[in-house]
Amino acid sequence: MGVPFTSTLGYAGTDILERRPDDFKIIENPFDSQERTVVAKAMNPDVAIFHGLKGDRLGNVLVQKHGEELLLAQASRRVIVTVEEIVNSVDFEDSDGWFIPAIHVSAVVHAPLGAHPTGVPGLYDADEDRINEYVKASGTDESFGKYLNRYVFEVGSHQQYLELVGLRPELEAVAR
Amino acid sequence: MTTGFDLTIEEHLAILMSREVNDWETSACGALSFIPATAMLLGREMRAPNAEIIILGSRDYSPFVTGKDFHFHAQRGQLDLFFISAIEIDQHGNFNLHVIGDRDEPDVLMPGQYGTGMLYYAVPRIVMFRTEHTRRSFVDQVNYVSGAGTSPDGVSRRTREVKVITPMAKLNFNQESRIMELGSVHEGFSVDQVVENTGFNLGIQGEIDTTPQITEEEVHTLRTVVKSHMIDSETYPNEAANLIREP
Repeated sequence: MGVPFTSTLGYAGTDILERRPDDFKIIENPFDSQERTVVAKAMNPDVAIFHGLKGDRLGNVLVQKHGEELLLAQASRRVIVTVEEIVNSVDFEDSDGWFIPAIHVSAVVHAPLGAHPTGVPGLYDADEDRINEYVKASGTDESFGKYLNRYVFEVGSHQQYLELVGLRPELEAVAR
Repeated sequence: MTTGFDLTIEEHLAILMSREVNDWETSACGALSFIPATAMLLGREMRAPNAEIIILGSRDYSPFVTGKDFHFHAQRGQLDLFFISAIEIDQHGNFNLHVIGDRDEPDVLMPGQYGTGMLYYAVPRIVMFRTEHTRRSFVDQVNYVSGAGTSPDGVSRRTREVKVITPMAKLNFNQESRIMELGSVHEGFSVDQVVENTGFNLGIQGEIDTTPQITEEEVHTLRTVVKSHMIDSETYPNEAANLIREP
């Protein structure tokens, strides 16, 4: 939309507003001085990164259904999409997922199993053990730092990451 | 349980909540909402055959493609009743769905749920519920206000009725005084027990009603028609199989 903020119903009186005074304000409705409304500041990320099902050389992508990725792509300045597979042409009629046209996409990266440790419906499930490990690690800065070192900073490539986490049989089937 | 039907807590709450579902109205609950989903399906069987039911994330009871579609539908005033569960509820009608423990150093921080802060304004009738009636859940002041009982002056609000249903009692939020009051006490519990287990003053004046008894028909319908429908339609099938008893 390109607007600085949007008006929304509700939230007034909550700690969500109290804790984020730079993102939410209560203002007078400019069209009705009797009314006040909550407004939320526009969020325009410099970079959005999300995972999809397919991508093509032009940058068209197909993402899983029922998400808000299109909205995220439209709001962001740069958009990087990791995908399970690169195909000749992503078709907007493809009913496996939802189409996002290349005009919203800056880069497509081939990353099979790229959603791990979360899953992709229809392809592979979330890896519950690894999710639990992540949740546990997020308890303190120290344990989360260790987690990041082990799974992000000290890993040289996506393939190394997949080897490190030890693929389960059903994951390997998809990876082939 | 004390009703003679050997009800699970989930069955008990679902039956009590099913009585809030009205014909020709749209009732809704969010994701991860087995108890409200059960309540709505039972309410439709028992008393409201023409109730419109929305169970977010279900195959058969959600017409929405994304969460945004559902939230905008609610903001436009298209819902009549919404069910909210909470960790803590206080005397002023505030609820906490986010923080267990200290608000700055939480023991547990719950994800998501930010839609409820809007839904609590957008929907005319709100039914909150809690699976335990204890002083740690019914507190003087919630640790974190996820939904606000009272709105600042001039801010529009559609909500006009708020009730809380627990395994022990029903509370009503008085819209004039903005105070949570004891509405009725369920069979098998006393007013004193409710007072003892509530961390705030319940504004008791005079006699308190007993909640209408759980009926054999409600229990039977829940354990037969509703249970098998939930399993068949894949609406919380595992929970229905495990938490609703056999007839």
